[in-house]
Amino acid sequence: MKDRKSILLSSLIYLITNLVGLVGFFYPFFLPLLSADRAQAASPWLMTLLVGFCFVALLLEVQGDALNARFVALLGVLVALNAVLRFIETAIPGPGGFSPIFFLILTTGYVFGARFGFLMGALTLLVSALITGGVGPWLPYQMFTAGWVGATAAGLRVFRLEGRRGEVALLVALGAVWGLFYGMLMNLYFWPFAAGLGDQQWTAGLSWIAGFQRYAAFYVATSLAWDIVGALGNVLLLSFFAAPTLRALRRFRRRFTFIYQAEAL
Amino acid sequence: MIAFDRVTYTYPGATQPVLRDVSFTVAQGEVALVVGPSGVGKSTLLRCLNGLAPHFSGGTLTGKVLVAGLDPVRESPRGMSRHVGFVFQDPEAQFVMDRVEDELAFALENAAIPLPEMDVRVETLLHWLDLAPLRARALTTLSGGEKQRVAIAAALASHPAVLALDEPTSQLDPQSAKEVLAALARLNVELGLTIVLAEHRLERVLPFADRLVYLRGLEAPVVGYPEEVLPHLELAPPVAVLGKALGWSPLPLSIEEALPFVQKMAVGEGEISPAILPHGGFPYLTTEDLTVVYNGLPAVRGVSVALYPGEVVALLGRNGAGKTTLLRALVGLVHPQEGKVRLGVRNVARLDVAEVCRQVGYLPQDPNALLFADTVLDELYITLRNHGLAPEDLTLAPETLLARLGLADKAQTYPRDLSVGERQRVALAAILVTQPGALLLDEPTRGLDYEAKQALLALLHEWRSAGMAILLVTHDVELAAQVADRALLMEAGQIVREGTPGAVLATTPLFHTQMARLFPGKGWLTVQEVLRYVTSPNGGIAPRA
Amino acid sequence: MIHATAWYIWLLAALSVLLGTRNPLYLIVLLAEMALVVEALYAPTGEKLRAPVAPGRFALFVVPAGALFNVLTTHTGATVLLRLPEAIPLLGGPLTLEGLVYGAINGLSLAALFTAFTVLNLAVPIRDLIRLAPRAFYPLAVVVSVAVTFVPTTLRQIQEVREAQAVRGRRMRGLRDWLPLFMPLLIGGLEHALQLAEALTARGFASSDAPFDAPRDQGVRYGLLGALLLLLTGGLLRLAWNLQVWGWLLMLLGAVLFGWALRRAGRSAPRSTYRRIPWTRADTLITLGAALTVIPLWLRAGAARLYSPYPALTLPLFDPWVGLAFLGLTLPVFQLYRARVAAAGAAL
Repeated sequence: MKDRKSILLSSLIYLITNLVGLVGFFYPFFLPLLSADRAQAASPWLMTLLVGFCFVALLLEVQGDALNARFVALLGVLVALNAVLRFIETAIPGPGGFSPIFFLILTTGYVFGARFGFLMGALTLLVSALITGGVGPWLPYQMFTAGWVGATAAGLRVFRLEGRRGEVALLVALGAVWGLFYGMLMNLYFWPFAAGLGDQQWTAGLSWIAGFQRYAAFYVATSLAWDIVGALGNVLLLSFFAAPTLRALRRFRRRFTFIYQAEAL
Repeated sequence: MIAFDRVTYTYPGATQPVLRDVSFTVAQGEVALVVGPSGVGKSTLLRCLNGLAPHFSGGTLTGKVLVAGLDPVRESPRGMSRHVGFVFQDPEAQFVMDRVEDELAFALENAAIPLPEMDVRVETLLHWLDLAPLRARALTTLSGGEKQRVAIAAALASHPAVLALDEPTSQLDPQSAKEVLAALARLNVELGLTIVLAEHRLERVLPFADRLVYLRGLEAPVVGYPEEVLPHLELAPPVAVLGKALGWSPLPLSIEEALPFVQKMAVGEGEISPAILPHGGFPYLTTEDLTVVYNGLPAVRGVSVALYPGEVVALLGRNGAGKTTLLRALVGLVHPQEGKVRLGVRNVARLDVAEVCRQVGYLPQDPNALLFADTVLDELYITLRNHGLAPEDLTLAPETLLARLGLADKAQTYPRDLSVGERQRVALAAILVTQPGALLLDEPTRGLDYEAKQALLALLHEWRSAGMAILLVTHDVELAAQVADRALLMEAGQIVREGTPGAVLATTPLFHTQMARLFPGKGWLTVQEVLRYVTSPNGGIAPRA
Repeated sequence: MIHATAWYIWLLAALSVLLGTRNPLYLIVLLAEMALVVEALYAPTGEKLRAPVAPGRFALFVVPAGALFNVLTTHTGATVLLRLPEAIPLLGGPLTLEGLVYGAINGLSLAALFTAFTVLNLAVPIRDLIRLAPRAFYPLAVVVSVAVTFVPTTLRQIQEVREAQAVRGRRMRGLRDWLPLFMPLLIGGLEHALQLAEALTARGFASSDAPFDAPRDQGVRYGLLGALLLLLTGGLLRLAWNLQVWGWLLMLLGAVLFGWALRRAGRSAPRSTYRRIPWTRADTLITLGAALTVIPLWLRAGAARLYSPYPALTLPLFDPWVGLAFLGLTLPVFQLYRARVAAAGAAL
């Protein structure tokens, strides 16, 4: 009975936080429909605040009560590795938009599960923000999205292709999708700030379609090219390196997931 | 304090137990030394003390372990953490924080110790291990010995009664190792701390040991006072080996204990074998007035050396003397500011690193940085592919090379499942598969046990006879004394002494072997050399050979 | 050493001022003052990884970009500069001066925002940022701590692996040649993690045999859910039905409940903190200065606060009292300068 309640509460938290997270990204499209005559100058901030709260709640739920030493150590080390990769990305001006961080987020999420993948994504962004001095209001959004990347990779397990040939293709496909989508979501977050949606002089009466068009213009102008490069980068990295990486991760998974159970006497 | 009663432990999935019927006791305030070849279960035995085995690694444990009156299996590692401090081989792999003080406080914070008490405890820990001057330093800026002292202090944070250390000095240079062991000896004397130590460099730790646990794999372990156990050990330190050969009793554990025997002997004048430097042919690798700046500092200053085919040259020197930088310059990984490196007649600066390394094998300190393939054999083929070579081009097939290195049965194993010594031989194989004419080794004996070291020695002898030029950077003076034809001493980026090992080692106190310290001024370095002059079991002088 | 909490209050004040105004003159003053703080902070820190883009350079990029984007996509405003043919989708139509100015203000606002966070990033050491995490997130704080500690080790290992593979004859010919660099790093990291896990266990960090989904404190979950619902309802009231007061009230209630839930979650992980930084008079001064910055803007400047160039461009007003109050944000500069002089004195 109590278990069922626990599962229900947990699911509710997952549902609400993720839903608000999604709305937090897409609200600019709905805003003109909702607000009657006065839009608020602070509405992007209101959403940042709400998404921030939801993210914290989600993080607490994902963390659980009993993160064990193995989980902490493995996550910490892999996050450091990934954050360094991201640092290298910012230090070497390579092809714009290419980011190596999604490779490990996707592969570890796929091998170690949704919880690990979510934290891997979220904390990679957090740690690299800490070491490169990139803490800002954008951080909860970045963490949220990168967390989704890792969690969805675990979702690929439903295809039951673990250890078989098709799994790399699945990861490649997901990597391509996220390469495009991540940039798009980050832009959605940034857009209200850049476009100053709050001003009623022109938002009043701006239709859903017009809002979308404006975003499309913003997106194409600022980042489509980058995101395509990003998606391509994910595809290349995953198709070349996913197989050996998955092999290495699986070799170690056995050692990390062992739980000692006292023998019944 | 510690009691093992017929303890048998098997890892999950293993067919053989790693510990078999081990029984011993350690009283409070004693230092127990766990010895034996690698893979014999020294680490496992230590992990039984705080319940890491079986709680962390799984497996089955039968028999009874009692530590400070508690059963680690029932208490679990969390419960035992207040009673047993644990220090691991690699100090870096245990740190959570990046500052000395914070690292010491971590376990206390974790246990929610109130602030005033925490302050007192941190100060005490800093005092015990002489860390007060380093308290605010970042851990990355510390030397290996300092790091390991921090790790020991952190393990003592909860004031345990027992301290277990798993080969705490195997990754350290001799000075750092000495520093760590001195700290341990002090803790033992001043605090009455019970210490259990796994170690394979016996010569350093034997003098402190109250008790020896010699694990022998399939045979029953030998447990007792050092004097009782030592005669059974095959890997005893040189003084003990000499003592055994000369029939001294009780066997000396340290130079100090051996001196009375030596004083009773009338020792004749030894003769150092004359410096025959095999400068016959053309040098394989030479440097001319080489100066290398590394990290803004001149690490190598005006070095001129030559390496000839068919010789083993030992390069000795303190940490930071520039030895590794010199090796890296030899293969072109760093470029000299002044001077040249020549491979035969060609200037290395003009060649690709890959091309140099096909002819000069270079084994870096950490073999793990090399290995990443799925099988041992693959590692060899990866190197060949890098160089664009096919196995048919070689006179020595990769499989044969593996067999020569004693790895024939490991060809299909995952390299990371191997022991330290085996990994190093795989790395050697991956380097040597192109059959280079020279081999540069950086600290090849670090972390190796006695048997692995002997195996390496044999290989070096074999390759030298085959005409390879070998340059060996090492802190291990006993090894240098046994294998080198020539020794170079480096200080502050310069070669300050050069000659036969006898000439170089015997005149540099820091690099004295045990025999050189026992017979100062004679120029004898190894037990074999001493025995050549002194063979009488009663301590008489032997006739000259 | 300025206390981290003083910096958070400073940031909060700076943000509330920044978000409260669209007056370009105010924004320029704020940007300049915060850039001064960045300048004062920049010199003493030696961490080379944390070297963000200079605020001035960022503003030079983002202000023109904002102006250009807005002028091209919004076509309202009285002063028409140019007309693009209507046939061009989205871009077609009148390009107005008002649109240009509005976009530039957007850019200015962004630049100021970016600068405020640059101050935080430069001023507060990583360790103190981690310690800000509520106790409920202790396990994740340890993960972050482990990661931050492992970063320098990773950087060194990259160098080692690069050399080791070069020695084996690796040449950069294509993407595949990155594998020999990446795999030893990954495998080395996994091995390191295993050792670290063992060390953490031996130090009593957490029992490795605790079941992963141990029974939870349901009170925390109820609290979180309730808090989220209150926050969302409050937000919705404000956005959709313009019920400002009710909206704020519900959101405040939600935030309080959220805080309670986090506290309750934190109680399950009791721990103490070793490191502490003393709160000095300078910290009090900085806090007060920051707080004083906020008040005049809301009290005095009605029309000047929410300046808009639409429908036809006007000159923004500038209230000197408000401008003066903004100087409260520059107090850290004096403190930093004093500290540096003192350090130089001690060095002599």
